Amino acid sequence: MNLLKVPFLMVCLLSIQTILFAGNTNQTIYINSGVHACFDGAQMPFKAFNASTSFSNRNVQLSAAIGDTIFLEVINTDSIQHGFDVKGLAGIRDTVAANDTINVAISSASLGIFIYYDHINNEDEAYLGLSGIFAVGVNSNTFFWNLKDHELAVNDSVMTGGSVDWMTYYPDYFTINGASNPNVNLDTTARVEGAIGDTILIYMANTGRAEHSIHFHGYHLEILFSTDHSNYVGRLKDTFPMKKMTGYVLRLVPDQTGEYPVHDHNLLSVTGGGLYPFGMFLTILIQ
Amino acid sequence: MLLFCVGSYHAQTNVFLIGRTLGEKIIANGDTLRVFGFAPNLGSHPPIPGPLIEANQGDSVHIDFWNVSQLHHHTIHLHGLDVNQQNDGVPMLSFDVDHMEHGWYHFKAPHAGTYLYHCHVGSTIHLQAGMYGPIIIRPSDGSNTTWDGGFAFDTETMLFMSEFDTFWHTDSILDHPHDTTAVHDSLEVPRYNPDNFLINGLSDHQLEDSIELNSKTDFVNYFRLVNIGYCSNKVIFPASLGAQIIDSDGRPLPSVEMSDTVEIYPGERYGVLVESSVAILDSIEVYYYDMMTGTVKDTQYVKVDIKVPNNVEEFKMLRDLVLAPNPVTNELKVMFNAIEARAVGYRIISLDGKLMESVQPQRVNQGKNLFTINTSGYAAGTYLISIMDEGQVLSEQFIKSSE
Repeated sequence: MNLLKVPFLMVCLLSIQTILFAGNTNQTIYINSGVHACFDGAQMPFKAFNASTSFSNRNVQLSAAIGDTIFLEVINTDSIQHGFDVKGLAGIRDTVAANDTINVAISSASLGIFIYYDHINNEDEAYLGLSGIFAVGVNSNTFFWNLKDHELAVNDSVMTGGSVDWMTYYPDYFTINGASNPNVNLDTTARVEGAIGDTILIYMANTGRAEHSIHFHGYHLEILFSTDHSNYVGRLKDTFPMKKMTGYVLRLVPDQTGEYPVHDHNLLSVTGGGLYPFGMFLTILIQ
Repeated sequence: MLLFCVGSYHAQTNVFLIGRTLGEKIIANGDTLRVFGFAPNLGSHPPIPGPLIEANQGDSVHIDFWNVSQLHHHTIHLHGLDVNQQNDGVPMLSFDVDHMEHGWYHFKAPHAGTYLYHCHVGSTIHLQAGMYGPIIIRPSDGSNTTWDGGFAFDTETMLFMSEFDTFWHTDSILDHPHDTTAVHDSLEVPRYNPDNFLINGLSDHQLEDSIELNSKTDFVNYFRLVNIGYCSNKVIFPASLGAQIIDSDGRPLPSVEMSDTVEIYPGERYGVLVESSVAILDSIEVYYYDMMTGTVKDTQYVKVDIKVPNNVEEFKMLRDLVLAPNPVTNELKVMFNAIEARAVGYRIISLDGKLMESVQPQRVNQGKNLFTINTSGYAAGTYLISIMDEGQVLSEQFIKSSE
């Protein structure tokens, strides 16, 4: 199947001059299946949208300027059908058969964070890893946090097509961009480094099944965009509630130097494999 | 209803807290749990939550933290106060405090608002164990306003939500080893299955008559909501209270939001104003949600009792209203005390709502005053007289007899 979404094609044709000068891009992403190695050596089946046919537990970070379009080719290297949708953008939802390809175009006329994901099977495949961030309105000081949680036994069950009782879900691994503390601090797209007075943007999405509550030490940040609560825009906060499949764009303008933690204040999620503090925890470094 | 007040001085607030690990806490079923916590002195168990730290915006706050904890390390993280790294209380980025040592934390009180403090050593275990407490930064002048130039309020109530998993309060869990050479003090965390759902450290029948909004009509009541547990909370106010959400995490919201429901996640704080012009006897519902499954684990209730004021002792300027004789035939003497000279009027209505008499405010002297009212033309029955000054009303019933 090779399908270009009609509404976006129409928008493109009507705005051809804007497109030519606005930096539209073509990008290919691959649906891959593999194994995620946890910090403690535990292994869980995993799937992700990657930039090549080589599996990684990190989903591709899609970024665009406001108004720009990404013409996206989605290639399914897996042996089963998958879905593709972008939460908050209309007219995208589609399916891609095993070893097939679809084409979609994604854009936003305003700043925002959008979760692209596999919508089929009650979003079980998204839980398994097929969920990433489409960030619109990025600047040169932008960082991305894709929050996920996993229960080993549930990953095994979803991978083999088994049923999952989400009412008993108790995740034991918590990651940001596929890594947990302390390794996440090695991820330069996640680990915020800056200077006093910088305008730093953080695109943060919860693509897991659990809810989280992300607390910043040292600073209050302004909410520039919220996927589900437009009334949150403009709030200055140090702690941000994260329902599943939601996200924020946050603006940080540091006013003091130092290294400060950011972590889930549901402190159960600061663990990994039952060990503290190997979960959702990283630091911000302001020089 | 605030907790424990630590000494506060104009431009400098000094706080003394003791870290303890052999505290005891009686829970709703009567059992005694071992808790960690912050105590104001060696002679008492650490309260859950810990002592209130209170300062005015702009004050210099100095905390002397003495750790008396049987080899456990602790810190104080000043949650939401945006202190510098040295005072942030994260052990591997600043310092921790060993058994029988003192640690000092300093900060200048920033924005007025609601904050909290907690230990950041082995956080998942130490918070559950009880090492947390509230911080209130008041406006620069210390007044009952939400922040400098903010909303004035008459009453203030803190609802500080958390949970206990009683299994976590056993020695095998609490007495974990500390590896002071490691960057991260790693420790095993058991599965969490909370069985006590707390507001200000109390639950179920313990809440009755302990925590409530006991107020009066037309009073502005300010709620400070805090969640330091591992569940998310949904706080639902009675619709008749007209709840307004005004601040979060120590900052005013960009605009006031009218909502009876406040969702509050771990580490968040919210400020809510409620007010009623009529008497209310109702409850605030506090739901505890499992953040992994989204299911409700428990519900707690906080009593709301708003009365129409009719007690002379409750007023500041007009007091000691006495009617004589009562029953009355022809002449009713209305005696009262005014705390200061002011304009006072009165009106009389019958119990079926008929206005019998209304007298515009006239100046009265400080001290005892007397109004004499001719009731000879009143039909026999019961009447209500209200004397009023600016914003205050004192009411009493009297009976007109037929003779």
